[in-house]
Amino acid sequence: MTMKKQTAVVVCPGRGTYNQTELGYLNKYHGGDESTSEISAFLAEIEMGREVEGQISLSDLDSSDKYKSRIHGTGDNASALIYACALADFKKIDVEKYDIVAVTGNSMGWYLALACAGVLPGQAGFDVVNTMGKLMHTKGRGGQVIYPLVDANWKSDPELSKICDETVVDLNKMEGIEIFTSIELGGMRVLAANEVGVKALLEHLPPQQDRFPFKLQHHSAFHSPLLDHMPELAMRSLHENLFKSAEIPLIDGRGKVWQPGCYQPSDLYNYTFDHQIRSQYDFSSAISVSLKEFAPDKLIILGPGTTLGPPIAQQLIELDWLNIDSKETFVDQQKREPFVLSMGIEEQRKYVLS
Amino acid sequence: MANRAEIIHADFPKRVSAGDLPGGMNLSLSESNLNTHELIDLFETQLMSRQLDITSRRLRARNESHYTIGSAGHEGNAVFGLCFRTTDMAFLHYRSGALLIQRSKQLQGQTPLYDMLLSFVASSDDPISGGRHKVMGSLDLLVPPQTSTIASHLPKAMGAAHAIGLSRYLDKVNSVMPKDSIVLCNFGDASANHSTTQGAINTAGWASYQASPMPIVFICEDNGIGISVSTPKGWIAENFSKRAGMHYLYCDGLNLIDTHRATIEAIDIARKYRKPVFLHVRTVRLMGHAGSDTETGYRSLKNIEEVESEDPLLHSARILIENDVLSATSIIDLHASIEARVTRIAEQVIPRPKLQDAKAVMSSIIPDLPHQQGEEMWASQNDLDQKARKNLFKGEERLLTKPQALARLINLALADIMLSHNEVVTLGEDIGKKGGVYSVTTGLQHKFGPARVLDTLLDEQSILGLAMGLAHNGFLPIPEIQFLAYVHNAEDQIRGEAATLSFFSNGQFTNPMIIRIAGLAYQKGFGGHFHNDNSFNVFRDIPGIMLVCPSNGRDAVQLLRACAEIAIRERRVIVFLEPIALYQTKDLHEEGDGLWASIYESPESNAKQINYGDVGVNGSGKTVCILSYGNGYFLSCQAQKHLAEKKIAVRVIDLRWLAPLNEEGIIAQVRECESVLIVDECRKTGSLSEGLMTLMVESNINMPMARLCADDSFIPIGTAATLTLPSMEQIIEAAESLSLRVAGSK
Repeated sequence: MTMKKQTAVVVCPGRGTYNQTELGYLNKYHGGDESTSEISAFLAEIEMGREVEGQISLSDLDSSDKYKSRIHGTGDNASALIYACALADFKKIDVEKYDIVAVTGNSMGWYLALACAGVLPGQAGFDVVNTMGKLMHTKGRGGQVIYPLVDANWKSDPELSKICDETVVDLNKMEGIEIFTSIELGGMRVLAANEVGVKALLEHLPPQQDRFPFKLQHHSAFHSPLLDHMPELAMRSLHENLFKSAEIPLIDGRGKVWQPGCYQPSDLYNYTFDHQIRSQYDFSSAISVSLKEFAPDKLIILGPGTTLGPPIAQQLIELDWLNIDSKETFVDQQKREPFVLSMGIEEQRKYVLS
Repeated sequence: MANRAEIIHADFPKRVSAGDLPGGMNLSLSESNLNTHELIDLFETQLMSRQLDITSRRLRARNESHYTIGSAGHEGNAVFGLCFRTTDMAFLHYRSGALLIQRSKQLQGQTPLYDMLLSFVASSDDPISGGRHKVMGSLDLLVPPQTSTIASHLPKAMGAAHAIGLSRYLDKVNSVMPKDSIVLCNFGDASANHSTTQGAINTAGWASYQASPMPIVFICEDNGIGISVSTPKGWIAENFSKRAGMHYLYCDGLNLIDTHRATIEAIDIARKYRKPVFLHVRTVRLMGHAGSDTETGYRSLKNIEEVESEDPLLHSARILIENDVLSATSIIDLHASIEARVTRIAEQVIPRPKLQDAKAVMSSIIPDLPHQQGEEMWASQNDLDQKARKNLFKGEERLLTKPQALARLINLALADIMLSHNEVVTLGEDIGKKGGVYSVTTGLQHKFGPARVLDTLLDEQSILGLAMGLAHNGFLPIPEIQFLAYVHNAEDQIRGEAATLSFFSNGQFTNPMIIRIAGLAYQKGFGGHFHNDNSFNVFRDIPGIMLVCPSNGRDAVQLLRACAEIAIRERRVIVFLEPIALYQTKDLHEEGDGLWASIYESPESNAKQINYGDVGVNGSGKTVCILSYGNGYFLSCQAQKHLAEKKIAVRVIDLRWLAPLNEEGIIAQVRECESVLIVDECRKTGSLSEGLMTLMVESNINMPMARLCADDSFIPIGTAATLTLPSMEQIIEAAESLSLRVAGSK
């Protein structure tokens, strides 16, 4: 008996998803026997490009004994590792089982989404990721701090939002401090700030849930006006003709749907290297639009890592989607019949593969 | 009977595949301003809109959808969604699915398919109405919702266009729309016959004819039929192509390229020249008027099939194929993928929550407080500037220090309110140069200029439409209806539009205003019924609106100030009913006693304010409690003196706030007394007296009660003018009778 084909929206991960736990991900899931000729060729092309640029090969990075934040976590290396893992994962989705109705992503995941959707075919996707990774590494400014807006049960807590908002307003009154909302990340808010701003946030935001406020290592003040200088550098390095027409609908960091054929690739180029870089990235809205306007049977999160799972679950709770209204009901649903399939989680990954 | 919706749906891919497409205008994409991406985008929107119609009918069959009036045949209106800005306020009719979808594509994060489906299933999650009605609306997209079934949205659309012009002139007002905006308003050919359409278009032309800005595009989507009655061939063009002050344009709404051409031209005229445009768009109506409409009852099958062969989606497919934009296969694939997508979304919305109880339904009749826009507007009022005020009343100093009657005191209060609040605009027939037929607005135009004190044309629907439009753009309008009898031809503008806005928009849109109406009877033999109408029932049962009636000048000043605050801060629609017969009354008992006149209490005076619900209490007698308002209160106060001479202790209550009634306040007064007399100058049948008597009974008031009302008659002219109305003598008689009953019961 053949199963009815299901629909899925694919979610691409952002920076910070390749960490100690993910060391060896490429080799484990896409090396040796696990690889396919398409993936081998894809990875080989990436390695070639990095060699030309004089960068450490991904296989060396992936097969290191230990995860070193100053090596693996920097923009030029982390971006490329994540890109390779995610795109290879994407190529492994069983298209006989899943009809991919849209692609979205978080932050750097937007570049990956462009590659998945066919806007940046072949090497173009890697060129964009690698170039932007390098630019962020060398020309990036400031940093990011993450803070929760939900309680331990992932329910929206207006008091936390108030604390966060008021702290930011108060700190921004101090000379030299610049803080912006960088990403709306489900039940989390990522704040972008200049160096003094990051320091002030870590000092003044009241501690929550043993972990927050939390500084994201090696991250710049992405998606904020602190990177106003970046669009010009990006556009100088990456030409508009890299962008082709998409084959799959895209949902960007404002919740805008880019339907194949309905836009000029140049518009997508301008959004990607201008607005997207220096304005807030609303991942929550991207997920809401994915759910409401495409109503997929599944959300598939590409690997590496599992860090997008909680923000997505928090957004499901916020929308009361599929009657998921708490962490508990989400966990139950996932056990019963997982709606979110994270390829970085072994038991969920198997649903996605052929 | 065959399901035409499903037949049309199934025919589309077959006909595209077979190349069986309707011919049409020979317009090339390359010669238009439309690019290939926009064309595909519009087509995608058309498919989405159609699929929503189909899905709604499928859901109806499962008893899940509650609305099947669709947009099928009108999908060319997607072009308007593309070409107008989202800051150009849009007043849409119910066949605007494609328009709204395309407009939503201009803003990020919009979810038009999901939202529209939520409205079909009447889910309380529906972001515009909260499950109260299927309306075309969106706060983000600046589309105030209305039912639009009788074209009653046209007057306010015209008013909003006027308000754009005004906002350019009155630059201190924080307008909702940018100052270079235009208004978009669509409706059908059958609705073009409504007096609201005729009036709104007439008023727009009237303004434009005398060079007053009126940046609006009226879009008549002409599908040739109104439910079952055909529009005479050529009727719309003949009727509207030669209207004074109005540009007329025509396009084929089945052809996206032609519609785009005409729309760009229409927008250009409206935006650049601030002129009204009538854009006549040919469409067809597919799938009947609504899901429940059996079209074969009035159209032959042949005729139905002929119309279906003109399906705009087939026209668009032809244009896409002829211009090498999409292949037939791509078109069919897109059609199928949208069907699958909308069907999936539909299954998600079915279980979404519905309104569960009356309280939830009613929660948006009045918007939640504090209301941000209201508080901002209230906070922006000007500080009391004595110098400005002195200038304002220059030459009128004597008026400020001598006792005045009602008309003059309202006049002075209006002046002070306008001085404090830049966004206040007064408008009405003869209120400017003439100062009103009863001089209530004398000198206001001189003080504030013709933009803020506007002489309108003689059309009550348009006056109220102008007021609503002004309110939509951030003003506080104070329209005047010259006589109570005149409001009846325009009552739906209050009942069906102004009062329902908050309800249908879940409190997101409001149109605060104070509608001043001169009314009630007792003019000394002047005017007859149409100037002495004594029925305001029309306002009593409208949820959410407030009805206020001062009986004297001192109260009127305080009540007007209270109303201004409530209208601004609480975003309410208020009717302020002014008793004409008391406008110039200064004396109560005898000539020269001056007891009904008072010295104007300036805004900074320490005079006692009248708060919402406060009743007026005259005297502390306990034998008879007279409940009254307006002229009845005046006559009761006269009677009170005579009754006192007869040792009958009376207190007279001025209700002031007639709807909703301050029930607790009234009952508290009554409980201190031994009997109740309701004196109501309106008719025995249906007047407030009935509500008051019901209140007594339901509050278990156990004492002698009586009511004295006008007879169920119209008001005659001449010496007979007051014969059907309560008189002072009758009040005395009724109170005496009650006092006897009180004595008898002891």
